[in-house]
Amino acid sequence: MKPRSPHNEPPPSPALRIQALESLLIEKGLIDPGAIDEIVELFEHRIGPRNGARVVAHAWADPQYKARLLANGTQAIAELGITGLQGEDMIVLENTPRVHNVVVCTLCSCYPWPTLGLPPNWYKSAPYRARVVIEPRRVLAELGLELTADTEVRVWDSNAEIRYMVVPMRPAGTEGWSEERLAAIVSRDAMIGTAVPTVEPREGARHR
Amino acid sequence: MNGIHDLGGMHGLGPVVREENEPVFHEEWERRVFAVLNLTMAAGQYNVDELRHAIERMAPARYLESPYYEHWLHAAEDLLDAKGVVTQEELAQRAAEIARRSSAEPLRTDEPPRGAAASRRARDAGRGRSK
Amino acid sequence: MPALPREQVRTAIRAGLSARAEVAIPPRFTVGERVIARNINPTGHTRLPRYARGKRGVVERHHGGFVFPDTRAHGLGDQPEHLYNIRFEALELWGAGAPERDGVYLDLWESYLEGAP
Repeated sequence: MKPRSPHNEPPPSPALRIQALESLLIEKGLIDPGAIDEIVELFEHRIGPRNGARVVAHAWADPQYKARLLANGTQAIAELGITGLQGEDMIVLENTPRVHNVVVCTLCSCYPWPTLGLPPNWYKSAPYRARVVIEPRRVLAELGLELTADTEVRVWDSNAEIRYMVVPMRPAGTEGWSEERLAAIVSRDAMIGTAVPTVEPREGARHR
Repeated sequence: MNGIHDLGGMHGLGPVVREENEPVFHEEWERRVFAVLNLTMAAGQYNVDELRHAIERMAPARYLESPYYEHWLHAAEDLLDAKGVVTQEELAQRAAEIARRSSAEPLRTDEPPRGAAASRRARDAGRGRSK
Repeated sequence: MPALPREQVRTAIRAGLSARAEVAIPPRFTVGERVIARNINPTGHTRLPRYARGKRGVVERHHGGFVFPDTRAHGLGDQPEHLYNIRFEALELWGAGAPERDGVYLDLWESYLEGAP
């Protein structure tokens, strides 16, 4: 549904529609205008994949933490102070030389917000949602990740209220690194399962 | 429902296009939609299942063509109208008023800044979009 | 519920809102059990994707009780059910030619499932 517009006028743009809706909701006292800025600030600047990268780096550095993380994701992530909306019930999956995990939501756009932030457009796009369940190897190859035939690919379709993230394999050559340095090579896509960390981050990889 | 949203296994939708260094939001209106949706849900106007189902009921062609946050906007308008909280008529009237006001003034796509976050948003709002 | 005031936004986001809920009856399925996703075609909301309907899988995990979207989307209440993670072989979902070791995992509510003979 969209607001009706008179004939010969283009339909209102999303920018105009949300301005109309927002102003009416504020007038009716149904939302606090200050809360709008606050929630945008949180998700644009405070909650994002650096949180998840801290979790992964800590798991790489501390085998006992990793064991807790894989046994009870929600609790172990909360140990690092990371909790909240769309991460209430988390399962953490471990990539190994034999098993590669990749996460999708074929029905909408479910994604673990507290650890990874809001999802990128490609994750929410029709091609990714349609294809990664039926031809994951091809999708991953197109995204630059070639898997050998003897690797088992597990696709996790997060269709309910459980949210998933991946602990990628720690690359060789990172022995003795600090957790901060380790976290810097863990990209968002590595925690979705569409990329793997490398010792030399590619240009822009920190944001992916 | 056997809707367009149920995409798993479909063919012919093209390649997965990934944007390098993608910003969290591409346009100012997306920020507002994200916030309004979450705040109306927090205020109990509807729940996440109603939200998802409202998106599923979009016209299928529009579902595929529109930018992601337009799905959310559609759902908010649809649900708030159905519950009598904000009617379609109110929305259309208000949109027309805003359009009239802004055509009488220099073209502006954003609300006037309300504090630091808003002025930053206004600055960022000129960035391109990917869809 | 009243509007969420600015000063409560952070706390509310950090708290989240879990969909976990108590279910009065014991779970019908156990980990390792073979199941079939029902072939249902409801006109309302459901979280059982078409690609899994009628397909055989194995219970990988029991998540506990969760509110049921198929009713909550329509104002018919939470009606919590046991939720399970089910592994479907790629071969079962997509037929011959799919890589034999690959699998797809879905979280399915109890009423989406029946026991496999």
